[in-house]
Amino acid sequence: MTDSAIPPHDGDLGGRWETLVTVALLGTDRRDPPAGTTVIDELVDDTQRARPAARLLAQAAAVTAARRAGARPGAPGAPFVPPPPDHRPACPSAATDRWRHVVAVWPVLEDEWLAAVIAGGWRIDPVLVPALLLRHQRDMARLALVDVAAGPLARWLVDVDDELGDALGARLERITPGSTPLALPSLPIPDALERWREHELATVTGNLLAGLRSGQLAASHRTVLVNLVARLTPDVDGLRHLVDALSRLDPLDPAVSLATALADLAATRASMLDELGPTTAVTPAR
Amino acid sequence: MGRSDDSPGRPGDDPLPWSEEQVESLAPSASMMSAARQLATPTRWRSTGADERGVWGTVQGSGREPYETVVDHIDVVTRCTCPSRRLPCKHALALLLLFARGQIATGAPSRRTRTWLDRRQADAQPSVDDAPTGDQGSGEGSDDATGDPNDASPPDLPPRDEWDRARNERVESMSGALIELDRWLEDRLRTGLADPSLADYATWDQLAARLVDGRAGSLANRVRRLAGRVGIDADWQPQMLEELGVLHLLAQAGQRLRELPGPLADAVATTIGWQVRTADVLAGVPETDHWFVAGRSDAREDRLEVRRYWLYGTESQRWALILSFAAYQQSLEHTFEVGDTVHVDLHRYPGGALRALVGRRHDGADDLPGAGNEEAPGPRPVFGSVADAVAGVGALLASQPWLDRVPMLLRATVAQDRTRRMLTDSDGSVALNVPPTAGRGVGPWTSLIAVSGGAPVDIAAEWTPEGVIPLAVHLAHRSHDLGRRADASFVV
Repeated sequence: MTDSAIPPHDGDLGGRWETLVTVALLGTDRRDPPAGTTVIDELVDDTQRARPAARLLAQAAAVTAARRAGARPGAPGAPFVPPPPDHRPACPSAATDRWRHVVAVWPVLEDEWLAAVIAGGWRIDPVLVPALLLRHQRDMARLALVDVAAGPLARWLVDVDDELGDALGARLERITPGSTPLALPSLPIPDALERWREHELATVTGNLLAGLRSGQLAASHRTVLVNLVARLTPDVDGLRHLVDALSRLDPLDPAVSLATALADLAATRASMLDELGPTTAVTPAR
Repeated sequence: MGRSDDSPGRPGDDPLPWSEEQVESLAPSASMMSAARQLATPTRWRSTGADERGVWGTVQGSGREPYETVVDHIDVVTRCTCPSRRLPCKHALALLLLFARGQIATGAPSRRTRTWLDRRQADAQPSVDDAPTGDQGSGEGSDDATGDPNDASPPDLPPRDEWDRARNERVESMSGALIELDRWLEDRLRTGLADPSLADYATWDQLAARLVDGRAGSLANRVRRLAGRVGIDADWQPQMLEELGVLHLLAQAGQRLRELPGPLADAVATTIGWQVRTADVLAGVPETDHWFVAGRSDAREDRLEVRRYWLYGTESQRWALILSFAAYQQSLEHTFEVGDTVHVDLHRYPGGALRALVGRRHDGADDLPGAGNEEAPGPRPVFGSVADAVAGVGALLASQPWLDRVPMLLRATVAQDRTRRMLTDSDGSVALNVPPTAGRGVGPWTSLIAVSGGAPVDIAAEWTPEGVIPLAVHLAHRSHDLGRRADASFVV
């Protein structure tokens, strides 16, 4: 702000400052500080300041204080032309916070989060759009999902913000509008577990608990069990029932740690689906 | 500094109490009196007693050792081991209030107190006819370190006893350090900012160490931060000259504390590094308001993370700053959520400082983080134009030119030209200090563009000498905290 300051009452304050900087660079052993009859000179006029360096310091202090306190706004800038409007509601802040949890703890749910945003008629909260663009800048399939879920804001941001533009280049331009598949990518799940997905969630819950209690399912199966829970029927109530059941496992059971992790995954997924359910007043994006 | 002739308690009499009004007339300020009233509870005091000349007692402050307070209630001179520079201090006033209420029994003082009171009596005797009468004891003369009205030039007088000696030594130590600071500043400008010695950290570190020794710790931190700016960019030398000028201003003001008006002296003293105990701040008069949590920022300063919450009083329209500090693996304050409005008491540091401490909360659990951010935002301030915001910053800087961060609220749009990123409206702009992130995540500039979508938005920002830093965007139903966050590997 100092650079754009137009000091009050002393039109030459900027010029005085430049002179002070020059003297300070050279040192008062080589050049004396300026003298004159300006307000600043009167302010620091003090016979006790015999040493040139002391006089320079006093002037620097006075001019700095005056320039900072007397700063005025710079010339108006030309604002960016806003992006085309997107009439979809921004997803709730709880969903935004959920995305952060998903990315940090359960990235297996990330595709479903994006798909749920789109299917629910939401748009990504603008504050998340840069992070999502950067996160998926090298993954064209996911970048396409972000492009749809963020709406016109995504391409506008890449256009006006140098940093995003440098990172993404022309990648967004290579995405064909309307070509984005909403089907979730498949995850590696053994056939024996894959068959569970044909059943209702209550049955899956029973099978899972029985397997954990018997020791047939253990920590070594964690990855495939995570994949299973991430791809179970997207039924919020059923997932919450699964959370309850897993949470009731005997604390002394060797599988309790795995059960707790799966319960957190199921709870995260249930909340995510709940938060991103269909909007009540969805207007298609332009 | 004596009492009116019609007051009770002349030498030889029983120690008759004063009136509360007489005590109040001694108080340097209403806030001091308010603080004293809170301390004027018999249960907070130990070893109290009074005789025909003095009243004394000890009270536990925030330090390990209790403060020892004595008041010569005839000549109304006070002694207290507390660090307050304002005399009478709140402990002396509180003791006098207890005395006035008859809540201090007659007793015999300790030998040290007796010695001091006897010396007081001996000192007062020759000039008793000249002693001012009435309420003059509460005037400017009470600001000196010894509290004696005849001590027109306190630094020239030797300390009267060990209590004063500690305080005077501290003042002298600070003054000595400030004189050395000024000499050092002169040396830098004598040899010039192009002198290679500026790039040597030892040049700065020795000065910082001297300032720490001289109890000017805040200035030492400032000097260390300045050392880190040498050569940091093409424009470092003008910025260095500005900061050297501000240091000179503080060094000069710090050597003239007794000549400055009380609040200004307090502000200068605390800026230099005069320590104020938390309990003393909390004993001050609170500012009760619905405080809008406008913004937050974390900054690494030396080996600490410093968190700043900027609060704006929706009724008082005054700013306050809540600071918290965390060393490695410690946690920072999480009390506030940006965008909330909290109904609390804030207690400011001396001198009308921006910095304050949180006191009593008036709406209980509703103030917990996250409460009401979307559901019940509470009162919000008016976000003015760029010109209004710049004028507000200027007003604060005019009163305290050494401030290096000043908050601002404005309604503006983001804009950019070839050289500047800025916030603008139709009448003016302010340049932003938002350096590129160089590929390290999403910076505040990008977030600001995304959240605003190119439209005017309500913004909380922080003026710094290097430019304005955006801290938060406040939309109608949601606030976005854009301030820098402490490194998660450093704090917990």
